Amino acid sequence: MAELSFVGRRLPKIDARDKVTGRAAYINDLKRPGMLHGKIKYSQYAHARILNIDASAAEKLPGVKAVLTGRDIPEMRIGFMKDITPLKKDKVRQFRDEVAAVAAVDPDIAAEAVDLIKVEYEPLPAVFDPLEALKPDAPLIHETDARGKPAKSNLLSLRWKLICGDVEEGRRRSKYLVEDRFQATWVSHCCLGVSGCVAEFDLDDNLTMYSITQIPYLAQNDFNAALAALGLKDKNTRIISPAIGGGFGSKLDTHVYEFIAILLAHKTRRPVKILFTREEEFMAQPPRQPAIINIAQGCDAEGRLTFRDVDMTLDNGAYTSWGATTPSVMMVPISSLYRVPNVHYEARCVYTNNVYSQAMRGYGNPQATFAVESITDELAEAAGIDPLEFRLINANRPGEVTPQCFKVTSCGLKECLDQVGQRLDWPVKKAAKKKARGLGLASLIHVGGGARVYKSDGHGMIMKIDDFGKVTVITGAVDIGQGAETVIAQVAAECLGVPPEDIQIVKGDTGICPWDVGTHASRQAFIAGNAALAVGAKLKAQILDLAGPMLETDPADLDIKNRLVFAKSNPERNMPLDKVLRRAHFTSQGKVLAAEHFYDPPNEMLDKEFKGNLSCSYAYGTTGVEVEVDEETGRVEILRYIAAHDVGRALNPMLLEGQIYGAAVMGTGYALTEQLILKEGRVMNDNFLDYKLLTAMDKVPVEPVIVEPIDECGPYGAKGVGEPGCVPSAPAIANAIYDAVGVRIKDLPITPEKVLAALKRKRGET
Amino acid sequence: MKQILNFTVNGEPVSLAVEPHWMLLEVLRDQLELTGAKEGCGMGECGACTVILNGRAVNSCITPALEAEGAEVITVEGLLQPDGRLSRLQQAFIDYGAVQCGFCTPGMILSAKALLDENPQPTEEEIRAALAGNLCRCTGYTQIIQAVQAASRKED
Amino acid sequence: MNRFSYLRPATLEEALDLLAQYGHKAVPVAGGTDVIINAKRRRLEADTLISLRRLTDLDYIKADARRLLIGGLTTLRSLEKSRLTSDRLPALADAVRNMASIQIRNVATMSGNIVNAAPSADTAPPLLVSEAEVRLTSTSGERIAPLSRFFLSPGRTVLEPGEILTEFIIPQPPEPFGQAYWKHSRRQAMDLALVSAAVHLELEDDLETCRRARIALGVAGPTPLRTPEAEARLAGRKITAEVLDDVGRVACGESLCRDSLRGQAWYRQEIIRVMVRRMGRLAFERARAKAAGARG
Repeated sequence: MAELSFVGRRLPKIDARDKVTGRAAYINDLKRPGMLHGKIKYSQYAHARILNIDASAAEKLPGVKAVLTGRDIPEMRIGFMKDITPLKKDKVRQFRDEVAAVAAVDPDIAAEAVDLIKVEYEPLPAVFDPLEALKPDAPLIHETDARGKPAKSNLLSLRWKLICGDVEEGRRRSKYLVEDRFQATWVSHCCLGVSGCVAEFDLDDNLTMYSITQIPYLAQNDFNAALAALGLKDKNTRIISPAIGGGFGSKLDTHVYEFIAILLAHKTRRPVKILFTREEEFMAQPPRQPAIINIAQGCDAEGRLTFRDVDMTLDNGAYTSWGATTPSVMMVPISSLYRVPNVHYEARCVYTNNVYSQAMRGYGNPQATFAVESITDELAEAAGIDPLEFRLINANRPGEVTPQCFKVTSCGLKECLDQVGQRLDWPVKKAAKKKARGLGLASLIHVGGGARVYKSDGHGMIMKIDDFGKVTVITGAVDIGQGAETVIAQVAAECLGVPPEDIQIVKGDTGICPWDVGTHASRQAFIAGNAALAVGAKLKAQILDLAGPMLETDPADLDIKNRLVFAKSNPERNMPLDKVLRRAHFTSQGKVLAAEHFYDPPNEMLDKEFKGNLSCSYAYGTTGVEVEVDEETGRVEILRYIAAHDVGRALNPMLLEGQIYGAAVMGTGYALTEQLILKEGRVMNDNFLDYKLLTAMDKVPVEPVIVEPIDECGPYGAKGVGEPGCVPSAPAIANAIYDAVGVRIKDLPITPEKVLAALKRKRGET
Repeated sequence: MKQILNFTVNGEPVSLAVEPHWMLLEVLRDQLELTGAKEGCGMGECGACTVILNGRAVNSCITPALEAEGAEVITVEGLLQPDGRLSRLQQAFIDYGAVQCGFCTPGMILSAKALLDENPQPTEEEIRAALAGNLCRCTGYTQIIQAVQAASRKED
Repeated sequence: MNRFSYLRPATLEEALDLLAQYGHKAVPVAGGTDVIINAKRRRLEADTLISLRRLTDLDYIKADARRLLIGGLTTLRSLEKSRLTSDRLPALADAVRNMASIQIRNVATMSGNIVNAAPSADTAPPLLVSEAEVRLTSTSGERIAPLSRFFLSPGRTVLEPGEILTEFIIPQPPEPFGQAYWKHSRRQAMDLALVSAAVHLELEDDLETCRRARIALGVAGPTPLRTPEAEARLAGRKITAEVLDDVGRVACGESLCRDSLRGQAWYRQEIIRVMVRRMGRLAFERARAKAAGARG
């Protein structure tokens, strides 16, 4: 490929300037004329009937403009299984159920009014363990399903089952076989920017939502459904995105508080802002999906995998959000991490009175990979094969088709494994067996070329160019901090031959920007990048078609670089780009240029058997760590952390490293310190003191290694990297701890208590 | 009952009527429209509200506004140089990828500035200690540390 | 958020007069890192805060041959940066370096940490092993109380309404002595102690025998506490690994650890055993290093 000018460069984020000067406006900073503030009253029981709600005192408080309860609003069911109502009417099913809402002239008055609302409950027996909730005598969380059909149990009708090959045959062929159980619990996204929105109706009853959603167009769809429930069927929602203070999947669903804001705005005919406190953020923002994972895996005498059999029970909490769909991505490593011919996977989701879960970076992959990569080490040990060697034996290769029918294009897994082995000095250090020190590694596979989890995986983009040669790119992408717009600008600049500073990105308005399914699945670099290539090519063709006659040259011989249109065969024949454009514009029947394209990648939705080429390409990686364990306290110190990632091509190495560093620290927190502690359904650590997010003092010495096999599908060969970084951290660390001190911790987080307790058991102490 | 508060913000004297229970953060954001300082937790646990008060980094969300009486307060908006250029630190944050979602950035920069003002050549450990009270979920801190190191190396 | 009035007396006398005047309706506040949080969590019982921050006369660290004097308005950050702390109160230096964050330490005072009387107060074990006394001042006069009798229960002390903790008085121990403090927490910053241990050792001239020992634990009971039995096991004995092991075990036995949201009792006890031993060793090594340095 020709030398690239902008792609592959460490260009700073386009919006960094606004952010370092405090000019970037987040939802927290947004004010609308006449705006009211909304606050929510939450349930004080995990499971109870609502007998009565007395809002009279709240309504009378000066400054209160509206009080709503479940009885004041039309029937409205939200969430993809439609089992959620914005305000609960008859029953509360989890501690944080929304029972009433207030709109007032300032947040303090709204909070005071919330306290004045009196709710009478009749507590019901509750269940907080999904295995308990499956028992026949367990209290029913939902008595009916969304359509009103009586429910027989707490088991969701949503079932996940993947069968590839013949797992029984695989078991029979195994020389070595191991079986174990792993568990992952709730963790919070901890976006520094808390959740919030402003809902505002215009005089025609069209809705504008100032929203931090990661899925503006799907949100538009959900909010339009809410409008229909309000009797506003033909009205439209416009989503305007301010700067977003972090996403990590927490904004992939539309949330109850957003519908409440809409209801309050509709009632008061004024804009209503709801902004969470940090306590609400921990308590009421759905966390990562927990999982109870039973896994068995076998190999032949040569260490080649013969089968993988996985069974999962997922605590669905009281209602359903994307957590219940994480098995669709858990299948990715289960079926396609390493070459395993026979796979059986089943997952069930069970209602409980705990909080419900949503998408979070990796979308089930971290949970599943924790199990897969832990058991792989156990199997390697049973087979007497070194863990790194075992993985090299089974590593995926470019061009293969996996049992789930993924068509692997580029695959840098082997190189990632080699890099990790080399940099950790693996054979030497493993042989040295230094006391309480150990090495561990784990790999990952994730979607790298979009993911057709929705009917469309497309991205619409428009480019226009003005008389000065300045380009505006109008994109449906949402930037949650990862740098989508910067990458788009780099690709557009590369394509059009103008510097990135000549590119302006317009985004964050569904009224202006074309449709995009959302910022998820690590897809923006790939999808928006490819869209930019397509639109850029169209726009460039238009420019060159115009320039051809001006330069008396065949347009096929023309190119653009550094704002100059020139003939490739004779660069002396040239004209500044802006001159070309002005000439074309200011003439009879003149032309002003714009191009558009809706890029929908050639990936497939999974069929009824959950098979299909979900993504255009797959990202691989390996994380290797060296740890030291304090055998008297159980503390684990990470001495080295190698994060090797197969990214196809690094469109912007600086932003890419940012994703790797950030995800590695998030993954390490997942492995060692983070957990949302629930006691009988109640979040106990709803603050940053007791929720152990890693600080700058908790150094994780991440060494990123970028592997670039240059993929055929991605823009300039790139694949996505937003999520992979946090996927293998936990199993790599767990494996290293086992190597160091011979104890394997199978439920996250791996706290010092768990390590010490395991060490004491091993030493025969009680 | 409101009281008059007189202090200096980014070199400019201000005089405002404030309620005694207001924190400095609200006064900066709501009265003075200096929205760079953010409320990330309201409890002094995340550092997103960090400003510099009389030369020291403080959590403005738990600083009673009246404590700023007669004080000099610097917010992120005050870091621009007189000719409009960014400060060394701000430029370094841009150049080293230290900004992702940016919510923690103003507070982070001010904590770093307070450090460099007192200790122009900090070690990595000293930088980490100075930034320990500024939580970041996006960056994993590494590029932030690199930015502060770069800013400390540059000569004016 | 609780609403409150906020008064800013300019002198100690004014502050004490206001406190006497308002009685239970007011609380004194220095850095505010505990009191303001309580107000925000709507746990404040008073409706008037009396700020002590203008009492800069009370912000000092002074030493003479016999004692170290620390004013009640001295911030944790000042203590962190002072050579006097690292020379005379090494355990306290260990403690303050790791408390919360610089933003908090810039305004939080040691007296606030002590008066707030959380079992996890990081400055308490170091001050206890240093046999600190506190000067409590009110409009009625002053009294000096030993810190060892200051804490009554979580959040409660012998401080009477109207009293302010105006000074810490720490006697200078005889050389050679060494101290060390360990805070066991899940993170390296912004964290409360899961359990903590401070050890103070005074050595005989042979630099191997312990003349006197003082050990204090945090989050090992309702208040920060000394462990006299463990101390007795050290006094007069040559300091060896076995002895320190024994001392750790005994200290653990004297603790009253509980299960709580933040940690389990069995684990806290394990850490006490290990950390008293390790801090004993560190205090010992520091004492010997100092003595070696002094002897040139």
